Amino acid sequence: MGRIRIENLRKNFGAHEVLKNINLDIGEGELAVFVGPSGCGKSTLLRQISGLDQPTSGHIFIDDKDVTGVSAADRGLAMVFQSYALYPHMTVLQNLTFGLQNMKMAKVEIDRRVADAARMLEIEPLLSRRPGQLSGGQRQRVAIGRAIVRDPTAFLLDEPLSNLDAELRVSMRAELAALHARLAATMIYVTHDQVEAMTLADRIVVLRAGKIEQVAAPIDLFDKPANRFVAGFIGAPSMNFLTVEEATPILPTAPAGTALVGVRPQHLDPAETGLDVTVSLVESLGTETVIHATLATGTRILATLPGHVRAKVGEHLKLGGDPARMHFFDGQDQRIG
Amino acid sequence: MTASPKPSIGAVLTAPIVWLARAADMPLRAWQRLTGRGGMIAFFLIPNMAVFGIFVIVPLVINFFYSVTGGTALFLSDRPFVGAEHFDRLLTCTDHFNPTTCREDMFWTAVWNTSKFVVLQVSAMTVVAMITALILNSKIPGKAFWRAVFFFPVLLSPVVVGLIWKWILQRQGLLNFALYELDMTQVNWLTERSWAFAATIGVSVWAHVGFYALILLAGLQAIPGDLYEAAEMDGTKPGRVFWRITLPLLYPNLLVVIVLSLIRAVQVFDEVFVLTSGGPGTATLYLTQYIYEVGFASVLRNPGLASAAALMMGGVLVVLTLLQLGLTRWRDRK
Ligand SMILES: Nc1ncnc2c1ncn2[C@@H]1O[C@H](COP(=O)(O)OP(=O)(O)OP(=O)(O)O)[C@@H](O)[C@H]1O
Ligand SMILES: [Mg+2]
Repeated sequence: MGRIRIENLRKNFGAHEVLKNINLDIGEGELAVFVGPSGCGKSTLLRQISGLDQPTSGHIFIDDKDVTGVSAADRGLAMVFQSYALYPHMTVLQNLTFGLQNMKMAKVEIDRRVADAARMLEIEPLLSRRPGQLSGGQRQRVAIGRAIVRDPTAFLLDEPLSNLDAELRVSMRAELAALHARLAATMIYVTHDQVEAMTLADRIVVLRAGKIEQVAAPIDLFDKPANRFVAGFIGAPSMNFLTVEEATPILPTAPAGTALVGVRPQHLDPAETGLDVTVSLVESLGTETVIHATLATGTRILATLPGHVRAKVGEHLKLGGDPARMHFFDGQDQRIG
Repeated sequence: MTASPKPSIGAVLTAPIVWLARAADMPLRAWQRLTGRGGMIAFFLIPNMAVFGIFVIVPLVINFFYSVTGGTALFLSDRPFVGAEHFDRLLTCTDHFNPTTCREDMFWTAVWNTSKFVVLQVSAMTVVAMITALILNSKIPGKAFWRAVFFFPVLLSPVVVGLIWKWILQRQGLLNFALYELDMTQVNWLTERSWAFAATIGVSVWAHVGFYALILLAGLQAIPGDLYEAAEMDGTKPGRVFWRITLPLLYPNLLVVIVLSLIRAVQVFDEVFVLTSGGPGTATLYLTQYIYEVGFASVLRNPGLASAAALMMGGVLVVLTLLQLGLTRWRDRK
């Protein structure tokens, strides 16, 4: 239970086409992550799936049932909002039970579900408090709890961790991963954060300007980006892009049709021969050093080197790279090979 | 940009103000040097305090002296001290619920009329303001236009409101004309006791509902939209959304509306005075009008009695205002 299929989905706001022919199949129990730059349509796509908004055209299927015209409540999905959207005047307990009471569920069943969810999320001591009396992390748990008690076919999460501080994000991320493993439910997760996407996802859906650029497992996305956009978007710092001429010192022969060569900053090292660069900035992060540099042509190059590297601004460096770890793109920015 | 050949219109228009400000600067500086910070505070407060004192504090004090002195004379020096006699006269009844058994039967008629008016008018006001706000907050075309339409009567002077509705409701008014054209029975809206009473409620609701609807509208707009989306995901029926989410979150604003309209309803006067003058008989005689008539309009005017009644009404208003203050504090603490 919990397969979600999207067919030829389009969404316009007035003349503005926000989603352009989306096709996507999310498997049962899968955790799919939508990533993409701000304004690319991630939230809009999630809202079409949730039923809070209706697509301009196209279809959405849940477990092979066409739910396109079905109301949000009857799709059997649960949503966790970025702002949590907890009812501020109700206690945590009332927040958890409100939706279940709408379904006219028997009280024993409600009690059982709430008890289970509260135990799982460790929010039992908070049940009589109001959202205003909770910390950000606690609110987040309650918001997730409200989704869990509904026992949905799938969870929809729109940037659920973005309001938490860095430390809490890391621990909540781990908890979400554990929760997914435990519930084995389908989850669709929207995020800006690459690390969240890479660590949580079974598959990542990369969106740009309302179009799907690539759908792949995190490692495949990293190793085999389908085009220049995905290559530049996934991985931090971003991939370097060089013309074939610029890359000649580290790449004697490029595959036929190559217009652009991509090298990740992590795959460049100081060498005897290689790219001749001038250092413009050195960022020491402790475990690694990020070197900002420019080629003679003016192209900016980033290199992430392990450990401490003594380099001075203005210094000339030679950076070598392994052609086997490079990416090649044609004139249309599509991957070659 | 120092040497601009042609000064802008704005500069020309503000020139006198700038000149005035410069002129005021010198003496103010001197004053500040002389009196320090406190002196400046006093300088800015005194004009307002003077107006407030002359038109509020002084009348209040004089009113008190009137209430404990008798006769028809206007100058306090000509009025003999009578103690609590006026209060006694106002409050003496065999049965307070039956004005005819009271010494001042008109006072008690006005008290009960006003009570009935306050309860019904405030209830009607709250409900109508609520419905108006909900409609104005929904996705209707021409929202800004409708908001203006509903707020417009608030800007009218009460006398104008009274006149407009008199023109509509009087015996040969617009409404009866319409009924006549439609071959329906005509009603003497302003000269039949219960219709006239209902008309005063309806007209005062019409005149002020825009203001209260605006308070509620602000409250509605402050409720985050995603709560409604969460409720939608939770499969909440519209009625339950209203009772369980909108209403509780609107509660602080609703309280403000109820208390403010309560305070205002107790003092109802001008629209009604123009519309029915308290009639027919005493059907729409409310407290303020009673005070006005006893104090100024009747042949045997009795300023002392009117002042005593005014003081008692003032007492009720103080209680209501304290209630409002208390509620606001309690709400802010929550
Ligand atoms: N209700 C709406 N009316 C008009 N335009 C909208 C509406 N909702 C979204 N848009 C537009 O659709 C585009 C996609 O918005 P969306 O919220 O889906 O982006 P997003 O990918 O979630 O961005 P972010 O990462 O910043 O949350 C944006 O250009 C936005 O301005
Ligand atoms: Mg978004």
